Amino acid sequence: MPYLLIAPTIAVLVALSIYPLFYAIKVSFQTGTGDAVRWSLANFARLASDGFFRSALAHTFIYAAVALTFEFLLGLGLAVLLDRPLRGRTLFRSALLIPMMLPPVVVGVVWRLMLNADFGAVNGTLKGTGVNTEALTWTASPLLAFASVIAVDIWQWTPFMFLVLLAGLQAIPQEPYEAALIDGSSAWQTFRHVTLPLLKPAILIALLLRTMDLLRVFDQIFILTEGGPGFSTETVSLYIYRTAFRFADFGYAAAMSFVLLLLTNIVSVGYIRMLQKQEAA
Amino acid sequence: MSQRKFRLKGWSKYVVLMAALIIAIAPVYWMLTISLKTEVDQFAVPPRWIGFAPTFAHYYDAFFARSFGRYLVTSLTVATLSTICAVTLGTLAAYGLARFKLRAGLDRRLSMWILSTRMFPPIVTAVPLFLMMRDLRLLNTITALVIVYTALNLPFVVWMMRGFFRELPKELEEAAMVDGDSRLGALRRVILPLVTPGLAATAVFCLIVSWNEFLLGLVLTQTDASMTLPVGIAGRVTQYEIKWGVMSAAGVVAMIPILVFAMAVQKYLVRGLSLGAVKG
Repeated sequence: MPYLLIAPTIAVLVALSIYPLFYAIKVSFQTGTGDAVRWSLANFARLASDGFFRSALAHTFIYAAVALTFEFLLGLGLAVLLDRPLRGRTLFRSALLIPMMLPPVVVGVVWRLMLNADFGAVNGTLKGTGVNTEALTWTASPLLAFASVIAVDIWQWTPFMFLVLLAGLQAIPQEPYEAALIDGSSAWQTFRHVTLPLLKPAILIALLLRTMDLLRVFDQIFILTEGGPGFSTETVSLYIYRTAFRFADFGYAAAMSFVLLLLTNIVSVGYIRMLQKQEAA
Repeated sequence: MSQRKFRLKGWSKYVVLMAALIIAIAPVYWMLTISLKTEVDQFAVPPRWIGFAPTFAHYYDAFFARSFGRYLVTSLTVATLSTICAVTLGTLAAYGLARFKLRAGLDRRLSMWILSTRMFPPIVTAVPLFLMMRDLRLLNTITALVIVYTALNLPFVVWMMRGFFRELPKELEEAAMVDGDSRLGALRRVILPLVTPGLAATAVFCLIVSWNEFLLGLVLTQTDASMTLPVGIAGRVTQYEIKWGVMSAAGVVAMIPILVFAMAVQKYLVRGLSLGAVKG
């Protein structure tokens, strides 16, 4: 009986998650197409010498590290502000969630409109206050473009950190705070020695989930810059996409995707461990 | 003194929160205004945040004169069908995993395995899925999207519903079965009504994921007849001269159902986003 209930789900997942994985392994050992397919390790050897792949990796890591840091700190700050009862709290909470729920493609459109160098709202507003915006070309110059896509990620995903951390904060019971108050500890001491340790599980969950998503980032960058100008905002996911679907080099794309899978796997294993621990508790 | 300090702190709190609020909302509001502005107003310097004569011409242009209406119908169809499939299959599996002890802890191991399939980066499965769908001649079909999105949402449904089932005492079905119900009868008559709020929230999450999904849609559909709204928007943004009003109108329409859904599941938002790890 239980097997009958579970079997359809298992079948779908084997066909659409596990089989594709093995298919990708097969393809990653192939070069050429049609009748000219050859089997070799050439795709993996190419990984080691591909400067583009290395810089896509570097972009991905820098992007993930910077965005994660800002999203965490800002999200924690906002969560602490809204932890106590406050007039208008529900309104603030609901409104702050909007960026996170938007389709990533719409986020891309929104920020293309905001960041356009000539007619965007950002430069337009700056011009209105007398700032010279000639150098602020945003997505059109390499360094600024990279900063822009990171800023957009922070805009969209700080609410996620905020939401999870706020839920974590509200789950902390009152007693430890009362004890700290009686001991005469300062606000900072209470935060450091009472709040943070008790918030640790929520913090870990939020960081792990965000890291997984940051390492695979694709949608907003694709709309905002398509990895450009030049190669300046190309992440691993974008490079794999380009390799497979612009240059039809499926073998090399598959080989690269295993590197990405390996990287995200380290994070997801940690996450699953945490869930397992909670199950047991 | 101390009272004054406190009031100042409360006041500065609101300044920070208002700033955060404006930063979160202003860009979205800006897109909304662009979708309602004539071209003259769109390119005005300094930008017109308020005070312009609204027009619905861009909405007409996008959804009737151009293909966005078609993409919208595709998006609705795909999101609805894939959600129905995922919720049906996933709920049955979740019930099996929550209520039966399988041999050698298989129930727990299967749950973890199902969860782990959700952790693959989409680009990793995008390449083989494209090749598989090409071999099956399913590229550029709604069928392909429904199948793929069902698989995308299944682990989530199993994991969420398993959590909801486990919160109910086993005695409920046992009592119903003593009264002569079969196991499935007990599930339908006793258990499902009790998990309806959770089930509804789970379904809404699936709708959101399918509606927002972009990468797999981009890879699997390239024709006007088969592409979803996000893919359609992306194609226009990156390939042709940007028609700001049309893009914004399409963006606003793509955004509205999501905001409605999000408000509907607010209570379950944290639980859904963290796969039940944090109970909000």
